[in-house]
Amino acid sequence: MSDLAIGLWSFPALLVLIFMRVPIGLAMFLAGLAGLMLVGGGPVVPLARLKSETFTTFSSYSLSIVPMFLLMGQFATLGGMSQALFKAAESWLGHRRGGVAMAAIGACAGFGAICGSSLATAATMGRVALPEMRAYGYSGGFSTATLAAGGTLGILIPPSVVLVIYAILTEQNIAKLFVAAALPGLLAALGYMLVIGVYVRLYPASAGVRRAVPYAARFAALAKVWPVLAVFGVVVGGIYGGLFTPTEGAAVGALGTGLIAWANGGLTRATLAGSFYATAKSSAMIFFIVLGAAFYNGFLAMTQVPQEVALWVSGQGFSPWLVLILILVFYLFLGCLMDSLSMILLTIPIFWPVVQGLDFGMVSMADLHAARAWEALAKGAPLAPDMLDAVHTALAQGAELSREQIRALGVRGVNQGALARINIEQTAIWFGILVLIVVEVGLITPPVGMNLFIINTMDRKTPMGDTYKAVLFFVASDLIRVALLLAFPAITLFLVGW
Amino acid sequence: MHAVVLSLSRGFAYLGGLVLAALIVMICASVLGRAVADAAHAMLAAGWFPVVAQAVLDAGIGAIKGDFELVEAGIAFAIFAFLPLCHITGGHAAVDVFTRRLPPRADRALRAITESVFAAVLVLIAVQLGAGAQSKWHSGQTTFLLQFPLWWAYGLSLVAALVAALVATYMAVMRLVEMWLGRDILPEAA
Amino acid sequence: QEVTLRLHQFLPTQSVVPRDILDVWADNVERDSAGRIKIDRFPSMQLGGTPPELMDQAIDGVADIIWTAVGYTPGRFPSTEVFELPFMVTDTHAASAAYWQLFERHMKETEFKDVHVLGTWVHGPGVFHTADPVEVPSDLRGMKIRGASRMINTMLESLGATPVGMPVPAVPEALSKGVIDGTTVPWEVTGALKVAELVENHTEFEGAAPYTLAFILAMNKGVYEGLSPDLQAVIDRNSGLEFSIFAGITHAAADAPSRQIAVDLGNSIVTIPASDVAADWLPLVAPIYAAWVAEMAEKGIDGQALIDEARALMAAYKPAD
Ligand code: NA
Ligand code: NA
Repeated sequence: MSDLAIGLWSFPALLVLIFMRVPIGLAMFLAGLAGLMLVGGGPVVPLARLKSETFTTFSSYSLSIVPMFLLMGQFATLGGMSQALFKAAESWLGHRRGGVAMAAIGACAGFGAICGSSLATAATMGRVALPEMRAYGYSGGFSTATLAAGGTLGILIPPSVVLVIYAILTEQNIAKLFVAAALPGLLAALGYMLVIGVYVRLYPASAGVRRAVPYAARFAALAKVWPVLAVFGVVVGGIYGGLFTPTEGAAVGALGTGLIAWANGGLTRATLAGSFYATAKSSAMIFFIVLGAAFYNGFLAMTQVPQEVALWVSGQGFSPWLVLILILVFYLFLGCLMDSLSMILLTIPIFWPVVQGLDFGMVSMADLHAARAWEALAKGAPLAPDMLDAVHTALAQGAELSREQIRALGVRGVNQGALARINIEQTAIWFGILVLIVVEVGLITPPVGMNLFIINTMDRKTPMGDTYKAVLFFVASDLIRVALLLAFPAITLFLVGW
Repeated sequence: MHAVVLSLSRGFAYLGGLVLAALIVMICASVLGRAVADAAHAMLAAGWFPVVAQAVLDAGIGAIKGDFELVEAGIAFAIFAFLPLCHITGGHAAVDVFTRRLPPRADRALRAITESVFAAVLVLIAVQLGAGAQSKWHSGQTTFLLQFPLWWAYGLSLVAALVAALVATYMAVMRLVEMWLGRDILPEAA
Repeated sequence: QEVTLRLHQFLPTQSVVPRDILDVWADNVERDSAGRIKIDRFPSMQLGGTPPELMDQAIDGVADIIWTAVGYTPGRFPSTEVFELPFMVTDTHAASAAYWQLFERHMKETEFKDVHVLGTWVHGPGVFHTADPVEVPSDLRGMKIRGASRMINTMLESLGATPVGMPVPAVPEALSKGVIDGTTVPWEVTGALKVAELVENHTEFEGAAPYTLAFILAMNKGVYEGLSPDLQAVIDRNSGLEFSIFAGITHAAADAPSRQIAVDLGNSIVTIPASDVAADWLPLVAPIYAAWVAEMAEKGIDGQALIDEARALMAAYKPAD
């Protein structure tokens, strides 16, 4: 069997393992191990790799951001931030029909802004909001579905562990991806609120109403969410503003939320242990998948499968859009069975080389940015560092700057590679956000949806079937959003170019 | 027995958490030190309170040397130390759509096989990490800035990796016993 | 073909070293073997791992052939550091030749006994690329400068700068965000990294360069020894002193086009005259030599003898026509 054939056969073998309930990291590890033995002609290569690969994978500076974000989410809960968010949202929205559910979504969005994980967001907000929703007469399925969907905001709104992993795999800038995710994340929250509005009109019995709260109390509740804003501002603003690296940002955020939790009395010796345990479980799970993926992807590279797949796809004469849509649909299907991180780690090393080679006309986006840069220039306004790329694009297309403008901007000369680089970077960001959304849909698509499971275990009286039915409304809003972002890349890219 | 192994796993998770927390504090100190040093240099350049600025710089305030390397060494230990708890609580992500309707006997057999393979893999990982530590020890490779021997970091991780292998072996043995007896002994994962 | 060899390294295919040195070498080997040797090339760490592990990958057989900077594994190949001492190397060609000769005399049976070495060379003269101008050592005070090896970091510290370790691909981002104030890379790399667009000042030195990096092309020992004698001969014919000099020359020749980019952009390029180097710079870095010799003594290596021998070999170098 040729190396290529071994590489291709590894897919079905891997899927069989995964569907036999072999933990995903272990399955990838085993497939990589067996594959390396076949391709390398014996155990020498995989054994030699194991001497350092576990250590170097676990000791990655860029991945160390993952346990820090997870711990930050734990501290945020202990600091009462989830409670404060829900109270604030509830005081403003609670008196409308479906308002408590909308408040839960709002609180999830707020919590998502300081928590990097969907599961943690779902679990935390589930604990806070589920009893309240049930108390106000919301039906079981509607409540669990709302919170499962709200939980996905944990990853859709930056910071986000999945984006960190995507950025590392595609060698993209984490900060830019975070900023690009902000608008689609807010759209997601809005979409879910719309779904709630529609749902309570279709099924009025599924939601109760509570009394309005006076405005003074509303503002008082709102004032209590400032730590969330502060932490989000420092972490995401600091990373994007270049004050510190993403890992440093995560450390600052974790320390900040830890101090707030300690000041609130939420952080004690006992709760500290609990937050360490929760962080430990999720981190170990994620890193073991990363290890398995590194092993498996190293084997795939040796068989040249990713390159061959990329060649094959580009040779088929498919339009770039068709390829992209097929990839997204594939993720949706896979998402019914697998969790998001595993999908990303398994497939991005194969799909990214393909997508990277496709032209979606992203340069016209760059033109748009360049136009804005020119406008700012004409007014004599200062340019943000990231607009320099835009100016480079314009220069590469033959525009001319005066010597003074060149000095003022600190841009010097024409950068031939700029167009290609911008094209690839923008495609990477846009594709990354699209993938992020479709894999997150996977968290709430039946039958396997991690968020559905988590929330459903919190409300044993609600049958899984009820949750499945209600969540389809939220899945529909996700699909509409994907279509929107596909049709208008600017929604994703506009903040990045700012 | 289970309680002992569980406490061991928790102990290592706690230790890993402490290391993680220490790294977080160290990074924040480094960020702060860097900011202060940058400010002091800016003050010197601008001629503001040059005495104070110079004193700050002379005191050696700045980014912590080798913070990057400490994070790498520390985080590797933390992750290895997190593995036992994840393992013993069944925290690894898996797909159970197609296996949910298996009869109990087949279910236990599948679980026993998977856990055994997992244990074998974690033992293999620990053994090879040991070989890696040994080779780093012989080669004398150090880190860039602090120049501490790399095998120190490997050795620390090895301790945790050995515990992970031990816990996984225990779980595999218990699952095999469960398959043999035809009933569950271990508590439901929590 | 009879043998397929996997060549693994950390740069993208289109960079200078893979394109102009490694591919040339591999193509020549394939041609000279009449197609009996095939060399699969894996750029950008495609086979997994991080650049510091390349050496172990060659030793353990994860890859058959690797190219790496020796300084990525500090402490392991101490003798090679003789070429990385500050202001040691003036002529890249001479240094690459001397490196191979020193390797054959002192390192082949000791530090590199676990691999079959194919070529040894150093990059073109080291330059400082900084946001603010650097004309005297005190200009470097408090600047955060990226360094690639133990020796470069030591030199940066001696000059008063704060060394920051990061992989090469992270440099442009760090420069544009002001995470670092400058970087040490040879001109060759600045083209691909767009360094000239990110900083305005470049400092060159007349005579010896403040730093350089030692590189190595190495093969798994067992794989080499397992080749038939005639295929071994093909490898041998393409490796060794001549190849090392070719690699050094090619690497250094790639400096000029990248330097021209900086010139075209109107950047300021200052050259520190040899007299200033002797008066201002050498005294600051001189202690590094003594410290290094002492460190080598601890490892049972006569560092001073290595320094003298390297200098003599470089001085004796005559370019071939
Ligand atoms: Na988030
Ligand atoms: Na799903």
